[in-house]
Amino acid sequence: MPNPLPSVQWRALQTTLRRGNSTQQPAAIALTPNLAPNLRWRSSSVLDSYVDKPARPISLRQLIFFGGRNLDEVRILNSANYVRSELPIRIAHRIRDMQKLPYVVVTNPHMSHVYDLYYKAFDTLRKVPEIKTIEDNDRFCSIVKNMLREHLTIIPNLAMGVLECKDLVPAAEIDRFMNKLLRSRISRRVIAEQHIALTDTFNSPFHFPASSAFQQPNSHPDFVGEVFLRCNAKEVVERCGKLAQNLARDAFGPDSPVPEIEIEGHTDTIFPYILSHLEYMIGELLRNSIQATIEKHHPASPTTKLPLIKVLICHAPQHIIFRVSDQGGGIPPDELPHLWSFSKGARSQARLENFARVPTMAATMQELLNSHTHTSSIVGHQNSINMTARKVGSREESSLSSLTSRPPNLRLGIGLPMSRVYAEYWAGSLELHSLEGYGTDVFLQISKLGNKSEQLTLDGL
Amino acid sequence: MILRARPFIRWSAIAARALVAHPTPNRTPVICLRRGLSTQDPEPRLPLADKFTTAPLEGNPQSKHTNTTSTTGSNDEVARLAAIPLPSLTLQDLVRQGYPLSSQRLLASARYTRSILPIRLAKHILALRNLPFIIVSNPHISEIYNNYIYSLRSVLQFPNNHPTTLAEEGQFTQMLKDIVKTHSNTIPTLAKGFIECKRYIDPEEVGSVLERHLRTRIGTRLLAEQHIALHEAFVGKGVKDQHNGEGEEESGDGYIGTIDTNMLPSKIILSCSEFVGDICELRYGVRPKLIIEGHTKEKFPYIPVHLEYIITELLKNAFRATIESPTLTKTPHDLHESQQDDGVGDGNLPPVIVTLSVSRRDGVGGGKVLSVRIRDRGGGIAPEVLPSIWKYSFTTFDPERGRYYPPSSASTSAMSSSASSPSSSSQYTYSNIHNLTGVVDDYSNPMNVNLGMSGGGTIDALNIASDTGTSGGSSIAGLGYGLPLSRAYAEYFGGTLSVQSCFGWGTDVYLFLKGVGVEDI
Repeated sequence: MPNPLPSVQWRALQTTLRRGNSTQQPAAIALTPNLAPNLRWRSSSVLDSYVDKPARPISLRQLIFFGGRNLDEVRILNSANYVRSELPIRIAHRIRDMQKLPYVVVTNPHMSHVYDLYYKAFDTLRKVPEIKTIEDNDRFCSIVKNMLREHLTIIPNLAMGVLECKDLVPAAEIDRFMNKLLRSRISRRVIAEQHIALTDTFNSPFHFPASSAFQQPNSHPDFVGEVFLRCNAKEVVERCGKLAQNLARDAFGPDSPVPEIEIEGHTDTIFPYILSHLEYMIGELLRNSIQATIEKHHPASPTTKLPLIKVLICHAPQHIIFRVSDQGGGIPPDELPHLWSFSKGARSQARLENFARVPTMAATMQELLNSHTHTSSIVGHQNSINMTARKVGSREESSLSSLTSRPPNLRLGIGLPMSRVYAEYWAGSLELHSLEGYGTDVFLQISKLGNKSEQLTLDGL
Repeated sequence: MILRARPFIRWSAIAARALVAHPTPNRTPVICLRRGLSTQDPEPRLPLADKFTTAPLEGNPQSKHTNTTSTTGSNDEVARLAAIPLPSLTLQDLVRQGYPLSSQRLLASARYTRSILPIRLAKHILALRNLPFIIVSNPHISEIYNNYIYSLRSVLQFPNNHPTTLAEEGQFTQMLKDIVKTHSNTIPTLAKGFIECKRYIDPEEVGSVLERHLRTRIGTRLLAEQHIALHEAFVGKGVKDQHNGEGEEESGDGYIGTIDTNMLPSKIILSCSEFVGDICELRYGVRPKLIIEGHTKEKFPYIPVHLEYIITELLKNAFRATIESPTLTKTPHDLHESQQDDGVGDGNLPPVIVTLSVSRRDGVGGGKVLSVRIRDRGGGIAPEVLPSIWKYSFTTFDPERGRYYPPSSASTSAMSSSASSPSSSSQYTYSNIHNLTGVVDDYSNPMNVNLGMSGGGTIDALNIASDTGTSGGSSIAGLGYGLPLSRAYAEYFGGTLSVQSCFGWGTDVYLFLKGVGVEDI
């Protein structure tokens, strides 16, 4: 990019946007005052003491047993204090990462928004005294819930910040930063949401929320906090597939044919996993495949039968593999090298920049922001929805409601890299093979959870 | 194959004897150079490799005696040549050199080959002579080393900027054929040598040495074969010219040297599957069904022998995996489907599905790219085997146990050996296929390449059948470089080859090739 001008315009535009935003999102806006950079300076000695402490990784298995069936006050309080001490440490590490970025990057409005949110969270959490009673815990939970909600703006802001800063920092470096930040975010949300869910369960032991969704009252022992012991691979694919298909029908009109999804392989596979993570990944992959298939064969008459999307479920001794094969024409060769990058990639880049350059698109930009918020942070978001939804009893729809809310043909270019962060977080992988001009195969490999720890240590935490 | 193999056996015997007689190189100062270029005298006469030869190579190759005691010096012709940077070889260049074919172009091609070939050969020699002494002393490796020295001398006897006449070009081409023939067994021989040297060299290093050698060799070979093919085309066309007059273009078969501008990938895949299917039928009594889907009617300009080699290797893996682990993946649906078949003998095996895609790239060249996916349901590759599938698996060959490690389960579809039947892998050797496609004359008539596949396949299969009884000790069977070598071929012109395993279900292999005129992105 030869000219720094667009970036300047971006920021100017961004300011106006944020003002327009403020009516709708007062909470987020209150946190982004036009602080002069020097006002953001805080004594780093407090932070230092937290940065010096390593994060204590937790495995999925531990998460499962943390609650267990015999949920009592001691367990709840133990869990609360673990979260209370762990969150500020993990956030402190990320704040330090940001502090090490070039000044010009952190002063980017999006980035400084994120920075401020993190610092506020850190300050709040570290001041929470030891949790000794259930009442303490309830107060703590409401703090954490608010924080989770507030932080839903983080991913879209990061995504835009990173795109705006792409010329200021080498792409590989900023991608590394993004990956680390996102993984850490996942880890924090997992432990926080796990605890909140445990508390909810504890508080309403006779009203177990999952039962109505599954219509089998005795299925609830399989469900502990945020962690599902049983994920039915075929059902997840079917559910996400249906939603993605409906999404496509909304976007391309009721007359547009939508590809069918065929599931083969070990269709009776059931495995333990965090359902919301799995749904996010499968949902993104199916969205991509459906969209590509429709666009490749566009325009097609309503009677046209589009080529199938084939999903293979393979139950290996150590892994569950989902293979999604479509005939959507494959990945354009110029996009292929940057497929996994948050900051590079011709097309998504161009989109965001186009939005910035055309003032009349401001309304769309607004939408983009909103939808982006919903979808990118779907995991956190849907979990918080889950919690309310459980009480209503319509968990199934709500868990993916954020997926449906996203404008379907809005390509942000972060679905794949985000999915890969999720996959790798639990020691899985996501790989893609493009048959140029024909279609794409994506392999999502999920680790069967043994004693594998979270992959936190890989991040040098 | 037999004809060619015999001299080598004698050759190594000689080398071995020489080694015994002369344990150190200083004791063997006298080197008999291989005499002349006449085909009546194909027997190499060198008692021992002139490992550190620095003798002037230019000029008469009949200057018989060279002193090996001297070490590298300023007049080291090999070093001088090897230091010259190589122009990269692109498909586009090959096409440009050979189209439209005329006597001027043919001579230009010959001169180009004459100028590049010595550099390439010198690089091979340099790489070999930098290996530890104990390695190059091995009869197999010194045999290869000598072949290169011999070839370099042969090329250099044609002065620079020659050949200038068609007659001289004829001699030059004959010499090239001779070289190609001499080197047709290089890879198995080197592999054998490295196995014998196993304890003296780190397997990783062997892998990288062989890998580099192999990759460079693809280009060297192609360079020679391209000119030979042009020569044959010209000679064939010469007859035609008398009828049609000068200036008449190609005979319309689409071949430019070794490149087929009308290559139909689906046809090649089909003929390769016939060949591999024949082997399977002989060996296992069944033949998996093959389905080719996608852009089956699209042409893709490429070097057919390269594609044939890769596809044959991949199909061998896919077919064998399908046959060897059928129960793992068979579903009631499959059984139902194949029962409706008229019993061709696919043994109710799930089919191997090949998906083809040919896509045109925008840009200056406007070339095409080819994507191939070979999907089998042979049970996939065990995770513990996966990391080693790109290694030359002979590096893990244990001569004492006489089998290959890891002796993985039946689902090692990409491995070229299975623990239960080490000799079964003898049918899947590079040399078999290699000799099929590597015979120079195959290129002279494009039809031979295609016909040769199935025809030669039968002969091969018969050879295998007779081999199966033996322990396979003398053959280079199952050295397990089908996959890495295929990848080397794929990557030579900027393509890729990757494997994705779903353990417990099957394997997908993705081959991507760039055709003539595709720019690098």
